Amino acid sequence: MGLESYVLIAGFLFCVGLYGILTRRNAIGVLVSVELLVNAANINLAAFAHFGRGLDGQVFVLFTTALTVAEVVVGLALVILLFRRRKDILLDLANGLKG
Amino acid sequence: MTLVTWALLALFVPLGVAAFIGLVVPLRRTGRPAALISVAGALVSLASAGMVLAGGSAALKPGVHATVGWLTAGTATAVGVHLDGTSAWMLLVVTLVATCVQIYSLGYLHDEPPPALGRYFTYQSLFLFAMNTLVLAPNLLQAFLGWELVGLVSYLLIGFYFRKPSAAKAAVKAFWVTKFADLGFLIGLVTLYAQTGGFEWTAVTPAATFVTLMLFFAVMGKSAQFPLHIWLPDAMEGPTPVSALLHAATMVAAGVFLIVRAEPLFEQAALTRDVMAYVGAFTALFAACVAVVQSDIKKVLAYSTCSQLGYMVAALGAGDTFAGYFHLSTHAFFKALLFLGAGSLIHAVHSNELKDMGGLFRKMPFSGTVFVVGALALAGVPPLAGFFSKDLILEAMHHHGLHVPLAALAIAAFLTAFYMTRTVMLALFGTPSHAAEHAHEPGIDMKLPLAVLALLAVGAGFLGGPLAGLTGHDYAFHFTPVGGAGTAIGLVGIGMGYFMFGPAQGGAAIKRGFAPVGAFIRYGLMDRLATVAYGIMLAVGAIIAWIDRYVIDGLMNWSGWILLVLGRRLRALQTGNVQDYVYAVALAVVVFGAWGILR
Amino acid sequence: MSEHILSVIVASPFLAALLIMLVPGDRHGPIRVLGFVGSVISLLGAIYVALHYDQARGGMQFGVVYPFIPRFGIDIRLAADGWSVALLLLTGIIMTAGSLASATLTNRPKEFYILLLVLVAGVFGVFVCQDLFIFFLFYEIAVLPMYLLIGIWGSKGKVAAAGPFKAVWRDLDVGGKEYAAMKLTLMLLVGSAAILVGMFAIYFAAGGKSFDMIALAKTHFPRDMQLWVFPMLWLGFGSLAGVFPFHTWSPDGHAAAPTAVSMLHAGVLMKLGAFGVMRVGMIILPEGAAAWAPVVGAVAALNVIYGAVSAMSQKDLKYVIAYSSVSHMGVVMLGAATLDTDGWNGAVYQMFAHGIMTGLFFALVGLIYERAHSRWVPSMGGFAKVMPGVAAFFTLAGLSSLGMPGSAGFVAEFLVFAGAWKSGNILWAIPAMIGAWVTAVYVLRATKMIFWGDGPSHEFHDLHDAKRVEWGALWILGTCIVLFGCAPRLVLDFIGTATGEYLPAIAKAAASIAPVALEIVK
Repeated sequence: MGLESYVLIAGFLFCVGLYGILTRRNAIGVLVSVELLVNAANINLAAFAHFGRGLDGQVFVLFTTALTVAEVVVGLALVILLFRRRKDILLDLANGLKG
Repeated sequence: MTLVTWALLALFVPLGVAAFIGLVVPLRRTGRPAALISVAGALVSLASAGMVLAGGSAALKPGVHATVGWLTAGTATAVGVHLDGTSAWMLLVVTLVATCVQIYSLGYLHDEPPPALGRYFTYQSLFLFAMNTLVLAPNLLQAFLGWELVGLVSYLLIGFYFRKPSAAKAAVKAFWVTKFADLGFLIGLVTLYAQTGGFEWTAVTPAATFVTLMLFFAVMGKSAQFPLHIWLPDAMEGPTPVSALLHAATMVAAGVFLIVRAEPLFEQAALTRDVMAYVGAFTALFAACVAVVQSDIKKVLAYSTCSQLGYMVAALGAGDTFAGYFHLSTHAFFKALLFLGAGSLIHAVHSNELKDMGGLFRKMPFSGTVFVVGALALAGVPPLAGFFSKDLILEAMHHHGLHVPLAALAIAAFLTAFYMTRTVMLALFGTPSHAAEHAHEPGIDMKLPLAVLALLAVGAGFLGGPLAGLTGHDYAFHFTPVGGAGTAIGLVGIGMGYFMFGPAQGGAAIKRGFAPVGAFIRYGLMDRLATVAYGIMLAVGAIIAWIDRYVIDGLMNWSGWILLVLGRRLRALQTGNVQDYVYAVALAVVVFGAWGILR
Repeated sequence: MSEHILSVIVASPFLAALLIMLVPGDRHGPIRVLGFVGSVISLLGAIYVALHYDQARGGMQFGVVYPFIPRFGIDIRLAADGWSVALLLLTGIIMTAGSLASATLTNRPKEFYILLLVLVAGVFGVFVCQDLFIFFLFYEIAVLPMYLLIGIWGSKGKVAAAGPFKAVWRDLDVGGKEYAAMKLTLMLLVGSAAILVGMFAIYFAAGGKSFDMIALAKTHFPRDMQLWVFPMLWLGFGSLAGVFPFHTWSPDGHAAAPTAVSMLHAGVLMKLGAFGVMRVGMIILPEGAAAWAPVVGAVAALNVIYGAVSAMSQKDLKYVIAYSSVSHMGVVMLGAATLDTDGWNGAVYQMFAHGIMTGLFFALVGLIYERAHSRWVPSMGGFAKVMPGVAAFFTLAGLSSLGMPGSAGFVAEFLVFAGAWKSGNILWAIPAMIGAWVTAVYVLRATKMIFWGDGPSHEFHDLHDAKRVEWGALWILGTCIVLFGCAPRLVLDFIGTATGEYLPAIAKAAASIAPVALEIVK
């Protein structure tokens, strides 16, 4: 398998994630979609690291993974707060920042 | 003690008294004790003034000068005392009249509530300090300080009955008019400073004409010369002793004193002197005309004061400083006497109106007598005080060839005698009004000052010689045709007044004939013009304030508001829906990506 | 002691603010005491400086340098010249009186005092700071707390909609406290932006090595640069000094602000603007100042008469006093524009005199408002009967504002007029003098309408005179007015020392340059 297949898979994952972010009403769903986006990027990083030279990409994968964990924690906390406040987690209804 | 120490005592004791009774509030609220302290202060001041005059006629001739730097070190902007014949004599006149008035006030204001009495005497002491500051001024700067301060006290004292709307109005009017005139003083001062770097009385400058014209403008305000006289009649809203002290004897004469002091400056300005001669003579005539038709005894005396100040100013305009100064002194005595005498009458009938008086002479022989003495002195009947000084002024006008002013002053002399006779007849003789039936003489505290002033009104004319010696002029009374004519005119005026307002009540045709003139005078053209000017000023103020609020500030608000409106339009983009933002980001990525590739 | 006195003066309000932060918010007593003590220490420090400043030696004294960012040449340089001495005294006096005047405040006094003290520390800093960057820093520290102080503790007025911008009025809450706070802050920050530009222009034109103001004053800047930088500084600082047409924040701001804030703002903060124009603009850029002087002077003369005439027809008492501040700050700017010894002495003295006078005015207005619950002059009348003390002090403040001899205002105005006349600018002096007369008209008119006449009407039934601590503020300020009016040399000598040092360089520049219009044509 060449680099192209990895990139294609990553591109596919990215599109799925983006579609999820744009269409899911449920906040958990959006968080999951964000994970997909990040993992698409991770695949790219790992793939380029593998086929290219150096270990930079793999180090970055570790970095982003850690980052994602933190992000999910914050994200879930926000979701819980949102639920406590509004008794639902539907994003299109949570437009309190409307100008 | 040196002369300067005495002078400082005369200056600062009243200030100390004013500060003491003014700031120690419980003392002030007790009224009577505060009043007695104030009178004591005035007496000390008077005694010190006496010591200055008695102690050093030799030292006074060259002048004694003691100053301390005020705005800067050095003498350019110094304050202090300057003692010579002129200031020493004026100091005595001021403190003497002030003392008389303060003692008189003890009786006159007996029924005032104690806090008001305390306030009154605080102002009185402050006035004495302010006036002495002016009198002892070593330069024009200090003269200005005193000048403004007497104006302030005048404002406070006219507004003494501040709960009375008319008094409140009169007080601010007096302040505004005189303060407006004081712009002239200020301009004169800064010009002098710019030209000579100082404020010396004896400065020599090419700008003398301008400086003196400006100073004279200020004098027109303070000494109530036409057309800035309009505040003086209204100032009669103050208590009568105040009118006697400030608005007859001393403060209003400050303008005349200023010109006497600044004689070296005025000598350099022929134009100013001519202006003074004409303005003074016109004021003398005009105010005398107005005095004839007044129904309020204090207003008669107020216009009479205007008129007499006109005499003094005219004399100074003719260049005869001594004549003006002499008349200033004699006038201080007899006009204070007239006001205080009128105060006794007012006190007895509780009204200023002549129609509420009448026949008072029988009830109040003492007050009536001194009032008549004052009236005769004012009318210039020999050998009372007014005769000598007025005679000298007429003679001076004649001597300097100022015939038009001379004629005006002569007519004014006739009118003066006429209106004083009218006043005396209406107030003291004739049919008594209801109020006059119950009139009685005042107490000793009011009689004593009247007696002192009456003596001076009789005898001050004979002081001309010594006064001239003191101030370095030549004067000896001698009979002149002009003076004699003036006296004769006065006597005719008295006769005329007696004929028309005495028992005979003659001259009905004349009264009818002059009725329209009287009506016109009573209309008070200058007063109405001033009211109109005030209205215009307020209107301009309202317009400018409106422009500031709605146009200038409007522009500021508008520039902020434009951004606000813009923001309101743009806020529609901010839906609050997170996914909309992601759409935007995704779209932007596509657009920028495409742009990057196609570029 | 001597070398750290300026640090003490600046730090003591900061420290007091820090200590207040540690006190629980409901303990009002200790908070007030701390606030008062913090102010009094500064005042005593200022008096110490005045007593120990060596006039014979002159120049900068009590100097101290703390390195801050050496790379950019930014150091905290504190030192006092004669002007500083006068203005330190002023700030100490006003702040002490102001903390007394706010003793009756019950709404969140903790936060109020913290902000007030931070603000005043900034003011002290500006007056003694000799490093341009830190100068600007202190300036901002002094200006910004005002937003909260007015927005939270302010009071509300209402301005009817009218005029060509009616729609704007309907949309904005003109006269409200939030509006006033916002307007004041925005307008002053626009000014600050201009100052920032000017500051960096000076810094880089001098080689970008140091912000030391004393060194900068000795540097000769290119003429073209001076010609465009000076107006930036003039309008930037001028917006705080109420220079026409950037004065419109002042009436709304002062009207909405609580008593102590109005006192400090009109009494001290507006002086920062004028001080900045003179200390930074004119001294560092003498040629720019000389070229622009005719414009500065003309605008100042306009300020004087325009402010006075506007004040005449205000019906809201606070607006009357606020417009009078605009008018009087015009006198300061006029004095500055004369570039003449008397004019400059007068300008700085007017800062001092007007500060005390307007401080007293706002303290009194606060007292009246607190009792009458109204600022509407036409509805008042006869108040002197029930509040004679307030009436007396109001009259005193009024007399100082109209330039009565014996009050500090006279000395200042007289010097400025003399300076303007001497420098040949009669066309400025006459409007300014007329403005002083108009002041007499509106001040006495207001006094008459509020205190004299019949009344007070039934609407004002629970009026009473000042009480306890309030007397403190009134007496301090009232005494200062008379004291510095009768013995002006107490302060004027200090001012004169500094003026004498700065003026020759500017006079030299003035001789070499034509008014700006001609310069630009060249």
